[in-house]
Amino acid sequence: MELTKNITLGVYLPGETVIHRLDPRTKIVIASLLIFLLLMIKSYPAYGMILLFLTAVIFISGIPIRYALCGLKPMLPVLILMWFFQLFLYSSPDAHVIFSWWIFTATDAGMHMGNLISLRVFFLFGATTILTLTTSMVGLTDGMESLLNPLRKIGLPTQELVMTMVIALRFVLILAEELDKIVKAQMARGVAFDRGNFIQKTKKLFPVFLPLFINAFKRAEELIVAMESRSYTGGKGRTKMKTLHMGRVDLIAGLIMLIFSAIVILIIFTIQPQI
Amino acid sequence: MPIEIKNLCYSYKQGTPFEKKVLHNVNLSINDGEFIGLIGPTQSGKTTLAQHCNALIIPQKGRVVVNGCDTAEKNANLTDLRQNVGYVFQNPDYQLFAPTVGEDIAFGPVNQKLGRDEINNRVREAMEQVGLDYNIFYKRDIFALSGGQKRRAAIAGVLACRPRVMILDDVTAGLDPRGREEILAVVRKLHEEKMLTIIFISNSMDEVAMLADRIAVLDKGHIIIDDTTKSVFGEAEKLQQIGLELPEVMEITGKLREYGFKLPQTLITLDEVVELISADLQGKQVGE
Repeated sequence: MELTKNITLGVYLPGETVIHRLDPRTKIVIASLLIFLLLMIKSYPAYGMILLFLTAVIFISGIPIRYALCGLKPMLPVLILMWFFQLFLYSSPDAHVIFSWWIFTATDAGMHMGNLISLRVFFLFGATTILTLTTSMVGLTDGMESLLNPLRKIGLPTQELVMTMVIALRFVLILAEELDKIVKAQMARGVAFDRGNFIQKTKKLFPVFLPLFINAFKRAEELIVAMESRSYTGGKGRTKMKTLHMGRVDLIAGLIMLIFSAIVILIIFTIQPQI
Repeated sequence: MPIEIKNLCYSYKQGTPFEKKVLHNVNLSINDGEFIGLIGPTQSGKTTLAQHCNALIIPQKGRVVVNGCDTAEKNANLTDLRQNVGYVFQNPDYQLFAPTVGEDIAFGPVNQKLGRDEINNRVREAMEQVGLDYNIFYKRDIFALSGGQKRRAAIAGVLACRPRVMILDDVTAGLDPRGREEILAVVRKLHEEKMLTIIFISNSMDEVAMLADRIAVLDKGHIIIDDTTKSVFGEAEKLQQIGLELPEVMEITGKLREYGFKLPQTLITLDEVVELISADLQGKQVGE
């Protein structure tokens, strides 16, 4: 029973590789571009390109591939469910029926759609995981803030928004650790989480989620006090201990990404069927 | 319920880049009716070891046998085992969830699917054992309890399962002196009157010295000493080396020896010291 083992989102894996040394802003922009591309892609060759790119990045950054993939394990049921939804619910006029039973009809178009959407979620997850695995929390905050800075002019509290987002990301792991302890504490009092029918199993969630929520609120309150007692008053007038600066690696990385994007866009507009 | 631990190894987050070996080849046997203290610096593996004893963690390597039942066995009845070996966590907030104290304590017996009367009896008994008045606290809101009362409610929640072994994981941490005394009195009573086997994890050497018959000292996942309480504290240097303090009583008797009191080095509880000193002083008066 180790829930935290499979959580890779929001975890930072310290290292000394080129990917780690890149300016957080570069990495955020590249990841955003990837996400943008992923939302346009509807064909296998283009996904192949993305796979190639991400594998290369994982290889360079020294993240063990098994570890990068294990974060996907908890999401697998959702992915499979989504695939089936597409299989049965999506259809187009010229689709061929693969099989049909009662009210369920599976078409090849539905299967194709299911594949595409599952792949999209898979790669979206991959791109963001690599970003957080190779970028420290501080780096992520500073990078985001600096990128969003222009929006301050139209009155958006960018620093506060970024801070909130980063804390949320950090809490994923903290809450998972807490969940682990609560599950154990209730198991020690004889709860068998794997037994019983659906309703019985659902009932067993109360003794776990109630303490979890209560503790989460408590933690949030403590965090507020801790931040305020160190004079946090929001973004206005805050200075930085470390200033970000771009170097040659960032320029090279940016160029590689530009070329890569161009190729993928080319694939999208030439080979890809327009659905 | 004897517990037999053989060649136990455990790594935290096994198979990830954060993998960390927590237990190295640990051997420990806990006999019926024993009061064993588990001490060691932070991160020494005390909690991990203790959680193996009631199958909250299943051994990765090695064996844990509780009352003849191997916890790693496929068809072992772990739910029953966990009812027999109770575990109280350091933080009661991980455990308390029901709106009232009574309902929360009843949670274990309800899981055992006992009858209504039996559940009620057990709740009443458990509350009496930890010194929470049934009439006052049964309907009390969980959030209206003080820190010490919460701990006691958490202990009662485990006691209501009628375990034969109790694992107490640093249950006095963060309590004021009075709350601490109350909890320790409850623990002592459980051991002496109910004959429960107690596995007591603590960061306070005074508590362990006062309560435990036997102590296992963990350091970086190894058991480095496993002996009677007196012998363990006899190896003061070894304990200080791994960053543990000595019980206050030992520090005081050390100072008193410097002033010429004839006190042996094996004193670990305050009562013993008081007795010897008063005998010593009386002897002097008679001599004069």
